[in-house]
Amino acid sequence: MPQQPQATPSPSPKPKKKIRVPRVVNGVEQMVEIEVDEDSGPGWGPNDKHTLLNHRLTRVDGPVKVAGAARYTYDQRLPGMLYGRILRCPHGHARVASIDTDTAAKIPGVKAIVQAPLTELRFAGAPVVAVAATTPEIAGDALRAIKVNYEVLPHVVHAAAAARPDAPKVVAEESNLQEKAKNGDPAKVQAAFATADAIVDEEYITPRLHHACLETHGMVVDYRGGDTAIVYASTQGTFTIPADAAKELGLEQSAVESRVEHMGGGFGSKFGIGTEGMFACRLSKQAKAPVKLMLTRYDEFVMAGNRSGSWQKLKAGVKNDGTIVAMQARQYRLGGVGQGSQAGQPYIYRMGDTYREVYALHTNEDSAIAMRAPGHPQASFAVESLVDELAYKIKMDPVAFRKKNLRDEVYHRQLDRGAKEIGWSRRNPIAGGNPGPLKRGMGCAVGTWGGGGNNQCKVDVTISRDGSVLVAVGSQDLGTGTRTFTRAIVAEEFGLGMNDVREQIGSSKLGSANPSGGSTTAASLSPSVKDAAIKARLMLAERVAPLLGNPKPEEVVFANGNVSAKGQSLAWKQACAALPAAGITSHGEWRADLQSRGIHGVCFAEVEVDVETGHVKPIKMVHVQDGGLPLNRLTLESQINGGMIQALGMALWEGRVMDAQLGMQLNPGFGDYKLPGSLEMPELVPIIDDDDKREAVIGIAEGCIIPAVGAVANAVFNATGIRVRELPITPDKILMGLVSTRSGSNGVAG
Amino acid sequence: MNRSRRKFLKGVGIAGAGAAIADHLFVETEAKETTPQTISGATKITLDVNGQRRTVEVEPRTTLLNALRNHLDPAVTGPKLVCDVGTCGACTVLLDGKPAYSCLVLAVDATNKKITTVEGLGTQEKPNAVQAAFVEHDALMCGFCTPGFVTTITAYLKQNPNPSLDEVREACKGNFCRCGTYPRIFEAALAAAKSSSSSSQV
Repeated sequence: MPQQPQATPSPSPKPKKKIRVPRVVNGVEQMVEIEVDEDSGPGWGPNDKHTLLNHRLTRVDGPVKVAGAARYTYDQRLPGMLYGRILRCPHGHARVASIDTDTAAKIPGVKAIVQAPLTELRFAGAPVVAVAATTPEIAGDALRAIKVNYEVLPHVVHAAAAARPDAPKVVAEESNLQEKAKNGDPAKVQAAFATADAIVDEEYITPRLHHACLETHGMVVDYRGGDTAIVYASTQGTFTIPADAAKELGLEQSAVESRVEHMGGGFGSKFGIGTEGMFACRLSKQAKAPVKLMLTRYDEFVMAGNRSGSWQKLKAGVKNDGTIVAMQARQYRLGGVGQGSQAGQPYIYRMGDTYREVYALHTNEDSAIAMRAPGHPQASFAVESLVDELAYKIKMDPVAFRKKNLRDEVYHRQLDRGAKEIGWSRRNPIAGGNPGPLKRGMGCAVGTWGGGGNNQCKVDVTISRDGSVLVAVGSQDLGTGTRTFTRAIVAEEFGLGMNDVREQIGSSKLGSANPSGGSTTAASLSPSVKDAAIKARLMLAERVAPLLGNPKPEEVVFANGNVSAKGQSLAWKQACAALPAAGITSHGEWRADLQSRGIHGVCFAEVEVDVETGHVKPIKMVHVQDGGLPLNRLTLESQINGGMIQALGMALWEGRVMDAQLGMQLNPGFGDYKLPGSLEMPELVPIIDDDDKREAVIGIAEGCIIPAVGAVANAVFNATGIRVRELPITPDKILMGLVSTRSGSNGVAG
Repeated sequence: MNRSRRKFLKGVGIAGAGAAIADHLFVETEAKETTPQTISGATKITLDVNGQRRTVEVEPRTTLLNALRNHLDPAVTGPKLVCDVGTCGACTVLLDGKPAYSCLVLAVDATNKKITTVEGLGTQEKPNAVQAAFVEHDALMCGFCTPGFVTTITAYLKQNPNPSLDEVREACKGNFCRCGTYPRIFEAALAAAKSSSSSSQV
């Protein structure tokens, strides 16, 4: 490759400062300290002064996706490629006594068989052995021909049963209940409860949820026994693949390239090579042929991870003026064999004296993993239900009550905006007070998230002499619009249009990038893109300065496809003709000042409940979200919609169902695990909070799934007077609530 | 000859629970048939895909979806494999213009049908009205469900060129999206209907 001129390094070291930023490991944020430049350079400018950013840009990969031409990992087909499948343990808890693969190995077309490391199998669906064959159908034949003798052990799959002292142990010699944290002073809390005018003391439960990515987990390992390999992975972290794949293949890390051209959904579940990737690599190594191993839909349900369940016992006391004086919480994270996740209570509310105990409660289920805002919708649903119960108990408007107990005034303005949009004034303050069998009700809730970035992205911008522009970085686009904003930042900086810039992403051979977890992608990537674009602009300005009367580089104006200074102007292509034959390439680094963290969102929901059938029909949802500089309003609104819809699924329909006797999942498919569908869609109103004037990029993807769950649950209560405290809010629970209300055990709150 | 799937199942007598049930259920119908055609092992068949005659060798049990994706060369990968049991609609193709889940159709049973996949509806450069509206209205995020929705809606608008919002919802009920693009899919479908009807008036 020809030597390309580089951005000139600064002569003396710039003053530095230390800041804390999130770094994502397996989808979960950890805060780390890094050093950044004190004085960084030009900023984004006011949010309302952009020519492309903060506009409605159609996504640049739209045309290829609607034409069916986008190539996903699942679509890779290589010459001589084999298809992998995994055989799974059907028991909730077992050991493998013996495996006989002889018959399977003799089936024509079966090319490789790899056994899982022989450990205890702690959940139904645990992988036992994998095969690779010339067609997926033959791989299925091979699985059926493998004979496994299991030594079956006692299992427990329900949290309440697992907490009993005589419950079967998920891990021998260890209690299923593990204490994780204790915060606060229980004595102070008890004293404060004594001063309260009203107390709410309830339990809230959320089930295990599935990411249900339409593209299942998996990869295509292109290894034919040589020194190098290419791994096509359906992953949220291009750079989380090569090291582990190389280890499995016995290669140097640099010899393995991972590619993520397009990927069909992750929602927090796709980091690293995973068990399926380990098998794909080993099968490929054994067969000396490319192997595609994509999980089947059944596999995906029983093994690809899930959102942690939760069981929360919350007690809070309130004064008649609306002040919450104390809260105590006992929080169980239900993560199966894993640790699970759950934000600490009282979440984002100010509740006076608080005390909480947090436990992990283990069952014989596969490990919970990160899922869009890990641990937050669970905590939010519980605390928003609790807050709502307190408000009704002292007969205070739930919006006013929230404002009273939320310090941050951003929530106050967002609550007012959302209330106006949903028509809160139409709401009947008496829960269940509307006449007739079809009862409407409204609820609201609030949420927060970080969304800051870190310094992992390295971006190259190349301007060629013919005027073409390429921005390159290894980052992946999950469908969030990464390609589109990457292109837009560069095009805007150069005063060009969207079609004048091309981007190249999704390869570990390009500049490094962070994994897409914790909503860190936009705030990590966009500052590096902007930095590279500014540097390239100044490099070009320096080159064309002699043609424009020798202005300083920063005086050259790039706008409307022209490069101008001192009253003279060149068309973009004319300006680029002044470049050397190889063009110019700038290298962008992350800048802390171009991003920020800390977002706010509120959601309002209106539902209609048929009290004769218990059926809940969502009518309308409004979500108001801030997030600094909106890079692209169109795709940002789409993400807010997506958050509301996924939250709606959590509130009303979704939940893993386990069979206590068999220890296995009863609904491992789309026929039985109810996803939100077209018929249930309410009117959705995504609102970008433009009163947020921060000139900084912040990720919002996770923030906008959090409050809607509580908002919907509270709307169901307002409609019916029935408080369903265990998700999903299915008709049976509403009808049971109505029955107990009529029998006089629980008066309708007002 | 118009061979249905059930006749085919009788003919080859595949083992396996699903096939065995179908076999049993339709045995009476079968008794009236004359000389059912028997297919076993790998068989060469010709499929009419997006207007091209494509010859391919498949097993009798190979689904149309897997034939398109795993056997045709070059592959046709617009239709996606997501659930493999006819619940999600990502594999939707048109058989003689009617939407069908290609994971529920055997390849050998599609030989006498005109098969249209999303690739046959339009291209990146020349999208059809539905495809163009999907881009314009941001009716996609990850894009994995998109080919199925585009195919379903394209067929539906042929049948009902001026649908209401509720009719569009109804038409889409056999397709799942996980990212949450439904509202924009509805917008795109209605916009495509409008643009098609206005362009046909010109």
